[in-house]
Amino acid sequence: MSFREILNSGKFVVTAEVGPPKGTDIKEMIHHMEVLKGKIDAANITDNQSAVMRICSMAVCKIAMDHGLEPILQMTCRDRNRIGLQSDLLGASILGIQNVLCMTGDHVSAGDHKGAKPVYDVESVQLLKIVDGLNNGKDMSGNEMKGSTNFFQGAVVTPEANPLEPQLIKFDKKVKAGAKFFQTQAIYDIDKFKEFMKHARKFSVKVLAGFVVLKSAGMANFLNNNVPGIRVPQTLIDELKAAGKEKALDTGMNITARHIKQLKEENICDGVHIMAIGMEDKVPVIMERAGLL
Amino acid sequence: MIITKKREFKDLMENIKGYKSFFLIGCSECATLCGTGGEPELKSMKEVLEAEGKAVTGSFIAKTGCQVLGTKVELKPFKDAIDKAECIIVMSCGAGTQTAVELYEDKAVYPANDSLFLGNMTRLQFFDERCSLCGRCILDKTGGICPITACPKGILNGPCGGCKDGHCEISPDIKCAWVRIYERMKKLNKLQELCETTIEAKDWSAAQKPRTLIAREEKKK
Repeated sequence: MSFREILNSGKFVVTAEVGPPKGTDIKEMIHHMEVLKGKIDAANITDNQSAVMRICSMAVCKIAMDHGLEPILQMTCRDRNRIGLQSDLLGASILGIQNVLCMTGDHVSAGDHKGAKPVYDVESVQLLKIVDGLNNGKDMSGNEMKGSTNFFQGAVVTPEANPLEPQLIKFDKKVKAGAKFFQTQAIYDIDKFKEFMKHARKFSVKVLAGFVVLKSAGMANFLNNNVPGIRVPQTLIDELKAAGKEKALDTGMNITARHIKQLKEENICDGVHIMAIGMEDKVPVIMERAGLL
Repeated sequence: MIITKKREFKDLMENIKGYKSFFLIGCSECATLCGTGGEPELKSMKEVLEAEGKAVTGSFIAKTGCQVLGTKVELKPFKDAIDKAECIIVMSCGAGTQTAVELYEDKAVYPANDSLFLGNMTRLQFFDERCSLCGRCILDKTGGICPITACPKGILNGPCGGCKDGHCEISPDIKCAWVRIYERMKKLNKLQELCETTIEAKDWSAAQKPRTLIAREEKKK
């Protein structure tokens, strides 16, 4: 079954992230794909994440398919104008890529080519509309195309954004623009996430809660201070501290597994998205602890 | 107004190293307010050039340096001083520099300033960019705050995931344009309007360069 079919069947889905490397040596990336194969339902292939130049998402999506992983093509609006985006979407479609995650994209100032001209000809809401158009046989200018795409299109949302209401307004616009599923920024407070889900459940879209495994109390503090939309509660930081340096990562994995288990058991959302950031090997372990394998 | 910033003097010196005599043109509008092309700046430029062994044959502050015909008329009395100069240094914006280029086809003209943006002055010599001159105004849909300019990504439909406590991922000094728009629309009791309006992708053809405009009605013959 495809990711779309599994998600629509009501099964609790698991996606994880595979980050293309900088350079043509893809041995480690292929290893990560092999670790995740058969375990997760789809793999997000990031698009020059954090505006750091790497292998393009589309090529890695093709490699993922060759290695038995269903890819979700992450597509940002930072590096291509509307012609480039649509052209790449058509290219992805003929390669057999079925899922696309539409995002605006981190600003170039976050990355390793700070002098680059940011494009942002369109943004996430408009990109979703573009995908919807291509699925219906029309390009953005309304021209009829010979053959349409059949994408399952998703978007991102930050459930713990501060302030939250403007983020929710945008969430609604994304739904209206055709988003079928959402993958969230990392969440650490299930009660707050439940509040967000009360809003999301007004719409017939699927929501996958995002997870970034905490490796230490220091990392938790770093996320709180530096990463927008991430709030690690003090109780979790204390739990990591109490575990001590050697057991911090294991405790972090337990926290993630515990949260995932709760989300599934209480039927809070439709699945989870695990952003392992270099620790892809640990994804199956977390899934096992969460009772998903 | 057009916000300008003085170029590095060594870069200007590199440009003008082949010339010995100069005429200086400032501007009484934006460049004066920016402190890049008013009387004190022209005086200071004259002094540093003379200290470098260069001659300054004269200087003049245009009323509105981007107004070609007006500037041409104003410069008439300075014909001798300009003739004596091998090179003109313009201490206003890029538009002012190109007025001089148009008026003096046979003379070298160099800019003393970098032209930065169209800005509002918030305090004396504090400038903010608020309009990108995109050609099709959307302020009617965004509570009068321009996200094309105020948001580094020019997002048209709400804040990105980089908004942290109401501030931008680019810099904590920048307030998120969409949080500002949200707050203003809330004050105006127009949140419903904000929720219901999806702004379409911009038609950038209105910003296609070079732009021209004839604002007056041509007289019928």
